[in-house]
Amino acid sequence: MIVRNSLQDADLPQDDPRVKQLNVKMKKEGYKPDALIEILHNAQNSYGYLPINVLRYIAKVLRLPPSRVFGTVSFYHFFSMKSKGEHTCLVCTGTACYVKGAQKLLDKVEEKFGLKQGQVTQDGKIGLQAARCIGACGLAPAVILDDEVQAKVSPEDLISKLTSKLETHEQG
Amino acid sequence: MMALVTIYIDGKKIIAGSEKTILEVARENNIEILTMCHLKGLTDVGACRLCMVELEGSPKLFSACTTKVADNMIVTTNSERIRRYQRITTELFFAERNHICAVCVSNGACELQDLGYKVGLDAIRYPHLFPQCEVDTSHPLYVMDQNRCISCSRCIRACAEVEGAYNWDMMNRGYQIRVISDFNTLWGESTTCTSCGKCVQACPTGALWAKSIVQGQQDKHPEFITDLMERRKMNL
Ligand code: SF4
Ligand code: SF4
Ligand code: FES
Ligand code: FES
Repeated sequence: MIVRNSLQDADLPQDDPRVKQLNVKMKKEGYKPDALIEILHNAQNSYGYLPINVLRYIAKVLRLPPSRVFGTVSFYHFFSMKSKGEHTCLVCTGTACYVKGAQKLLDKVEEKFGLKQGQVTQDGKIGLQAARCIGACGLAPAVILDDEVQAKVSPEDLISKLTSKLETHEQG
Repeated sequence: MMALVTIYIDGKKIIAGSEKTILEVARENNIEILTMCHLKGLTDVGACRLCMVELEGSPKLFSACTTKVADNMIVTTNSERIRRYQRITTELFFAERNHICAVCVSNGACELQDLGYKVGLDAIRYPHLFPQCEVDTSHPLYVMDQNRCISCSRCIRACAEVEGAYNWDMMNRGYQIRVISDFNTLWGESTTCTSCGKCVQACPTGALWAKSIVQGQQDKHPEFITDLMERRKMNL
């Protein structure tokens, strides 16, 4: 007999306003598994990202397999399990962008800011994410900088755009 | 009462039930279609693109495992184009992870290796990605080696649909896809796995194996999953 952990002990502090909000949302959705994405959105809105103990709690309450919850979170680029930076840089790594040098963009950002995809700079200013085909293959390689689509981006372009983001930041 | 349809596969006229897939009908008639993610008894998901066939009247290719037959359908399974695609698909399986057959538990008993022989693979024309992959040895009985995984999802479906445990799922997308246990946590720390071994039986490669098996001694029985599901339907 192999004794295992249980998800039953997954819990969150019930007096936390964010937990209350989450409970209300899950109840409103009737604890339906279909509402998982909605519920995750809600949680991310209040937490800024999706901490693992929040995911454990959601899996327990909705009685969903943990791997399904984690898989869903990792599938959509708008979910993050790390706290996001003040500026987000989303590099498309879909086939078209990959072929046109998306990896070079990621490498350059890593070289310049020591930032791997999914990470945030130590000062919390820039968060780097990678996406799978953002549906703008004609503009490959494409990057979304703070919700703005950037077309045919070169590594140099990207670095200068990110640097100017940081500068405006310092001024304002 | 199921409707019957007439279809033609590689010129052979066949009468078949309309609820069947092209793959089912082909196999019942001893026409070979290569598959990888299909495992009879599990829900078909059309993930591997190996079973692609041509349908007359369409320039597209269709996955035989997920496409239902229809009246007067004319199917081609063995054209030059299909063979080319099968070969590409197979090469990509090998290029995507680190398949070193000589040191694999499944050497000599591997569906991927068999597939390589079937399509006459002599070289891989694509650059190997050589990803860094984890090997999870934390489970007391089994090992999960991501190096040899082809993301067919048979383990996921066997665990969820047959055992009902749902330990596995996929995380990420594209070339970064990985099979995960629970919250991308160690298999040995799973809150869902019952250690039944069905995923190991379902896996076509050496990605999942039992610790009791030594190198080159793999002995998998995916048909065990098929039999289980057949018996389950019988209401014994
Ligand atoms: S051993 Fe059984 S329960 Fe555990 S992951 Fe495999 S199929 Fe699922
Ligand atoms: S571990 Fe095996 S069964 Fe599971 S997805 Fe990978 S190759 Fe397929
Ligand atoms: S692959 Fe980058 S936009 Fe489609
Ligand atoms: S066997 Fe049909 S897509 Fe994999």
